[in-house]
Amino acid sequence: MNKRNKTTADDAFAERAKHLFDESVDGLDGETRSKLNRGRQAALAELQSGGRRWTQWVPAGGVAVAAVAALVVWTGSLQVPDLDVPAVASDMEILLTEDSLEMLEDLEFYSWIDLDAETIETDLPANNVG
Amino acid sequence: MNAYTASFAVSCFASDRKGVDTLQREARLNGFFADIEKRALRIAEISIRDRDEALDLGQDAMIKLARNYADRPDDEWTPLFYRILQNRIRDWQRRQVVRNRVMVFFGRGKEDEDYDPIAAAPDPAGRTPDEELQSHEAMESLEEAIGALPGRQREAFMLRTFEGLNVAGTANAMGCSEGSVKTHYSRAIHSLRETLGEHWQ
Repeated sequence: MNKRNKTTADDAFAERAKHLFDESVDGLDGETRSKLNRGRQAALAELQSGGRRWTQWVPAGGVAVAAVAALVVWTGSLQVPDLDVPAVASDMEILLTEDSLEMLEDLEFYSWIDLDAETIETDLPANNVG
Repeated sequence: MNAYTASFAVSCFASDRKGVDTLQREARLNGFFADIEKRALRIAEISIRDRDEALDLGQDAMIKLARNYADRPDDEWTPLFYRILQNRIRDWQRRQVVRNRVMVFFGRGKEDEDYDPIAAAPDPAGRTPDEELQSHEAMESLEEAIGALPGRQREAFMLRTFEGLNVAGTANAMGCSEGSVKTHYSRAIHSLRETLGEHWQ
C-alpha cells in the first residue's frame, strides 16, 4: 500500500471511529445527562464563589516550611543528622500532594471495609435464612 | 457634582461593569461546558471503563477550569480542559494500581470487573435493532482496542479524532511537542486498524 492510499485508509478509519463515537455521545441516557448538568452547575457555582480549598495552600505551606528549615540550618541553630536528602524530599513531595491525601483517605476506607467484612462474618449466625 | 459624588459614581459604574463581565463570562463558560461535557465524559469513560468515575473526573476538571482558568481567553479553554482531564485520568489510573495492590494485600481480588457494557449501553436513537446492534458492537470493539493502546497513543487518538483538536491543540492538551502528537497518533491509527481488521470498517 503506498503512502497516499494509507493516508486515505487512515482518514476513512478515523471518520468511521468519529461517527460511532458521536452516535454513542448522542445516545447518552437521561440520567447521565442530568448528572452532567448537575456537575456543570457545581463548576459554575465555583466560579461565583471563587472559593479555594485548603489543599490549594499545601504547596505554598510546603515551600514556607522548607524556607524556614533552610534558614534554621543556615544560621547553624540546628544540627541536622545525616539524612538521605533526595529521598526525604521525594517522600515529602508525595505526602504533600493532594492525590496522596486522597489515597490516604482511600486506605482508611479499605481498612474499614476489611474490618466491616470481618465483623459481618463473625456476627452472622450459621443459619441466617429468614 | 462634587468630587466625592463623582468618585462614588465611578466606583458604582466599575462595580456594575465587573458584575456584567462576571455574568458574561459565566454564560460563556456554561456554553463551553454544555458543548464539551458529553464528549469529555465518553473520552474519560473509554479511558477508565467506569461511567460514574468518569462523571466525577469530568466534574473535577470543570471545577478546576472554572476556578483557575476562567479568565483565560475562550479559545484556550478546550486544550486546558483536556489537559486537566487527562491529568485526572492518569492520576486515577495510578491510584487504581495502588488500590488493586492494597486489595490484593487484604486478600480481595479486583472488584472492578463487574463493568457491564450492556447495562451501560446508551438508549436507542431511532435506529433499527440490527443497526443499533452493529453500531454498538463496532463501538465496543473500538473501545476495547483503544483501551489496549499505550496511554499517550490513546490520548492523541481520542483528542484528535473524537474531540477534533488540531495538532497544536492536542500538543497543548497533552503537554508535549507537535511532533510527538503526530507520532503517537500515527502509531495509534496503525495499531487500531491492525487490531480491528479490515472488516470493521
